[in-house]
Amino acid sequence: MPLLPQYSLAGKTAILHSAGGDDAPFLARALAEAGAAVFAVCRRQDTLDAVLGALPAQSRGYGGIVAALDSEAATAGVISQFQFLHERADILVNDGRSMFARAATRIGLEDWDEVQSRNVRATFLISQAVGALMIAQEYGRIVNIISGLAERGMINGSAFSVSQAGLLALTRSLAVEWGQHNIRVNAIGVGWTTADDIPVEEQRQEQLVRYIPLRQKGQPRDIGPLLVYLCSEACDYTTGQPVYVDGGLNAHP
Amino acid sequence: MLEALSLDDRVAVVTGGGTGLGLEMVRHLARAGANVAIAGRRTGPIERAADEVKLLGRDAIAVPTDVSDSAQANALIAATIQHFGRVDVLINNAALVSDSIPTPIWDISDEDWQAALDVNLTGAFFCARAAARPMADQARGKIINVSSGFGIRGGRDIYMYCCTKGGILQLTRVLSFSLARYGVTANSIVPGFIPTVGTDSEIREALPRSGAYLPTGKLGVPEDIGPVAVFLASSASDYMTGETFTLDGGGLAGGLAPTGYAPEIPLEP
Repeated sequence: MPLLPQYSLAGKTAILHSAGGDDAPFLARALAEAGAAVFAVCRRQDTLDAVLGALPAQSRGYGGIVAALDSEAATAGVISQFQFLHERADILVNDGRSMFARAATRIGLEDWDEVQSRNVRATFLISQAVGALMIAQEYGRIVNIISGLAERGMINGSAFSVSQAGLLALTRSLAVEWGQHNIRVNAIGVGWTTADDIPVEEQRQEQLVRYIPLRQKGQPRDIGPLLVYLCSEACDYTTGQPVYVDGGLNAHP
Repeated sequence: MLEALSLDDRVAVVTGGGTGLGLEMVRHLARAGANVAIAGRRTGPIERAADEVKLLGRDAIAVPTDVSDSAQANALIAATIQHFGRVDVLINNAALVSDSIPTPIWDISDEDWQAALDVNLTGAFFCARAAARPMADQARGKIINVSSGFGIRGGRDIYMYCCTKGGILQLTRVLSFSLARYGVTANSIVPGFIPTVGTDSEIREALPRSGAYLPTGKLGVPEDIGPVAVFLASSASDYMTGETFTLDGGGLAGGLAPTGYAPEIPLEP
C-alpha cells in the first residue's frame, strides 16, 4: 500500500490530554501507529488504563499520568513527570469534551464551572505549559479535538457548547500568537460519535442518525489519519483552523 | 488505521492538473498510488504531467478540456471511464487565475464577469454533474473542490474570484448533502496565499509581501496542498463531507493584521 511519507510521526513525542469521553484510546493508537511516542494525561485512572491498553506493546513504555489539570501547580507536576521521561514535546493533543446535558434553567453554577474548567481551563493550562516548551524549541503541533457544537446550539447543551466554542477560539488565538515560533494549532470537530460497533441498520432506527447526511454515527477511528496529518511536520501551512469530520452535519440545514 | 491514507489503484480526475496547485496534487495522488486523468486547456503541461505520473509507475491520461463547455466536461469523465473503467475522485481545480488581479467594478466588462463564472464555478458544476452519476452507480466517490480564502473573506476589487470561490463552497455543501445517500462525499480545499509558477507577477505584487503578515510568517508552497488532497481523496476522509480544509498560514484565523507585524496600509481611501 503506497503511503505518502509525510504522514509520519516517527521520532516525535506526543502528549495526549483527555478530559473525558471514550476516544482517547483511538487517538493514542493513531499517533503510535504513525510512530510517535505517546505520553497520556487523563483525568481518570480507567481512561489512562484504556489508553495504555490500546497501544501496541512496543509503544507502551512512554508513560502517562492521572491528573486533573485544575491549577498551575497540578499542570507543572504533569510537565515535570513528562520531562523526567522525555526531552522534547513535539505534539500536544487535547480532547476536551467532558459533557453533561441539562436544561439551561436547571444548570447550577458548580456544574457550569466544572465543565468549563475541565474542557477550557485545563486545555489552556496544559497548552500554556507545553507551548512554552514548544516556543523554546521553535517547533510544535497542537490539535484540539472539539465538538461541532462549537458552531451550533443544542437543546440542553449550552454549558458544553460554550466550552467547545471556547476551545475553538483558543485554537485560533494560539495559532496566531505562536505561528512565528513554528507552532501550528488546529482543531478536529466531530459530530455524533460512538466508540461501539453498532450495525448501521440498527443505528438508523434512531431519528437523530437519519438527520446526519451520511446516516450513521461517527467513530473515533474516523479521525485517526487526520489527527496524524495535523500533528505532522508536513502540516505547515494549516493553522488556526477547525476541520470538521461530522458526516455532513455542518453543511446541512 | 493509516493504510486508509493510501490511494492504491484509485482513479482520480484533476482539472487544471498541468500546472500550479493542480500539478502538485497530481504528483501526490500518484505517489499515494492513484492513477490520474489530467485535464487542462493546454496540451503541453497536461502531457508532461501525465509523463511524470507514468514515471512514478502509475497510469495517466492527458485530456485537453475546457471545463466551461459541458460537452467537454462530459467527455473528460467519459474518457476517464473508458480508459480506467471508473472514476473514484474528481478534483475541481481549474480556475482563471488572471481574474484575481484587482480591477475596479466599473472596468469589468460583461465578458470578463461571464468568463470567470464560466470556468471557476460553472466548470466545477459541469464536471461534478458528469461525475456524480457514475460515482453514485458505484456507491462511492469523492468530489474535491478547490476554493480560496477569497471565497470566505472579501478582497478589494476582486469581484469574480471572490464570488466564484464563495460559490464553490456552496456547491460543495449542496453536493455533500444531496449525494451523501449515494455514498459520494464532497469537500473543499481552501488555500490561502500560495504563489505558483503560474501566478501572475501582478498578483504576486498584491500578495502579502513574503507572508510577513500571516501568523506563520511565510507564504505557502505548492507542496503544502499534496497531503491534504490525498487525505480528502482517500477513505481516511470517509466520514467528512460538506466541509472545508484550509491551508492559509493562519490568515483566516487571525486576519492579516493582528500578527505582531504592522502591515503597511497606504494612506488613501
